[in-house]
Amino acid sequence: MKTPKIVSDFRAGLGEGKLLIQSCNSCGKTNMWPRYACPHCQSDDLDWVQSEGKGTLHSFCVLRQGAPEGFEDDLPYALGVVKLDEGPQLLARLTPSGNDDWSEYICDDRVEFVAVDAAEAERRPCATFGRAG
Amino acid sequence: MSENWKLHVDAGADNDPVFVGVGEIPTGKFPDRGFIEALTKVAILALKDAEMVPKDIDTILLIPNLHSSTDQADLIFSRMVEELGIHGSCKASYMVHSGGSTSDNAVRTAHGLIATGHAQNVLVLQAERWGSADLNEMITMLSKNGIPGEWELPTGIQFNAIGAMITRRYMHATQSTPEEMASVCVTLRKWANLNDNAMFKNKTLSVEQILASRMVADPLHSYECPPMADGACAFVMTSTGNAKKRGLNTGVRVAGSGGCVSHYCLSQEPDQAVLGWPLAAERAWNQSGWGPEDADIGEIYDSYAAVTASALEGIGIAEKGEGARWFAAGHGDPGGKLPMNTNGGLLSAGHTGVGGGTALLVEGIRQLLHRAPAKRQVEDCQRAIIGGSGGSYMDAQILLLERTGMGG
Repeated sequence: MKTPKIVSDFRAGLGEGKLLIQSCNSCGKTNMWPRYACPHCQSDDLDWVQSEGKGTLHSFCVLRQGAPEGFEDDLPYALGVVKLDEGPQLLARLTPSGNDDWSEYICDDRVEFVAVDAAEAERRPCATFGRAG
Repeated sequence: MSENWKLHVDAGADNDPVFVGVGEIPTGKFPDRGFIEALTKVAILALKDAEMVPKDIDTILLIPNLHSSTDQADLIFSRMVEELGIHGSCKASYMVHSGGSTSDNAVRTAHGLIATGHAQNVLVLQAERWGSADLNEMITMLSKNGIPGEWELPTGIQFNAIGAMITRRYMHATQSTPEEMASVCVTLRKWANLNDNAMFKNKTLSVEQILASRMVADPLHSYECPPMADGACAFVMTSTGNAKKRGLNTGVRVAGSGGCVSHYCLSQEPDQAVLGWPLAAERAWNQSGWGPEDADIGEIYDSYAAVTASALEGIGIAEKGEGARWFAAGHGDPGGKLPMNTNGGLLSAGHTGVGGGTALLVEGIRQLLHRAPAKRQVEDCQRAIIGGSGGSYMDAQILLLERTGMGG
């Protein structure tokens, strides 16, 4: 199946160093993950806005073993759920603050979107966040 | 919320559904024990316990497996009807599936079928071969199922990462220590040591051992992660009227249930330290008229300690923020004030995929029927809280069960 447009648009944004979030043209509310109909008003007149890329870290973990197939060489890596200031939440990779070191992170930390290069955005089409400096 | 969602069936009425039998075989690694073989064994054990034979069963509900889509097809397409020799008389055979909360939803389904007359005698069957499956295949399967592939697969998330995030948030919100989190696993191991069907029936476990085990997904140590196991269990439900006709004196009825589907993927959960438990509990209390102080035991989903600790708080068994410390104080231990997960739970009896919740349910029924082995039978056990959760803890499901005499 062809990649759905809401997915390819989101990924194209990552490739350009932008975090896009879905915005409904009918009710003005934002949605993540992007939906095929607005879960607030059921409109399909859906668009994108660029997130400011700032939020708080609800929780996170550092995976050290048992990676899914194809992720073995990434170990260790950290994942976290970010609550964006705009409202929506998403799962993201977290940048280490030292070599394979995420020990500075705590829950409710302020975090910000980190743009990665186009090759990395293509390899791992997901958002990356780091501690707000 | 002032929901008042009554069950349309009166306690003790002829159409009041009751559990009348359970069956189980040992949980662990049994590579030479076949899938259909396991299902057949637990079916016959449950039927014997219910004083029935296969011909008495008109409806089979299947709890799915996660190890094989071929075996799943065998379940869906009524293989067990033929294996039990009831083809030609059995009315319906089908699967119910909501991951780890399937058993709770299977009970609701059977309950409705029996109360309305669509079914008389229902057999619910579960088997899983996680312990014998290829570990890497299962890790990959579990990182692809229950996760929105287009959005989250690229992050490299998998099940221990999900458990670790819930644990981290729970520890942050409640200021629970690693020692207090580990104590949940120690309580479960004490119960497993009393259960001959448990994977870790012969191994003891201490907080020190857990904290010394390797870090798998910070903050989870390997001994805090559920061991994948083979296992199978079954139960039989009928109506009170049928049970009486059959001369059965004791059953277990459903006093009420409550549930809340709080998310699909964990990233959309508003509070990972709370999950759907508070609304599920409120609904269950309203329907049953019980409160948490009325229970004699709890059998609550425990694939990670934080899931059970948050459930205890949402249900009202422990004070807000005190779920892990409730375990650390020994309240859920053998002899404690509310025996918790008396089979050893998923963490110590073994995680049999969708079956982990079924095994807890079966243990709750067994305790209420007073048919647990003497060494772990809770004295005068009348009421049980059963809790389940599926997927990435997408839902919180609560069944409130009570022992009932049926005369005779």
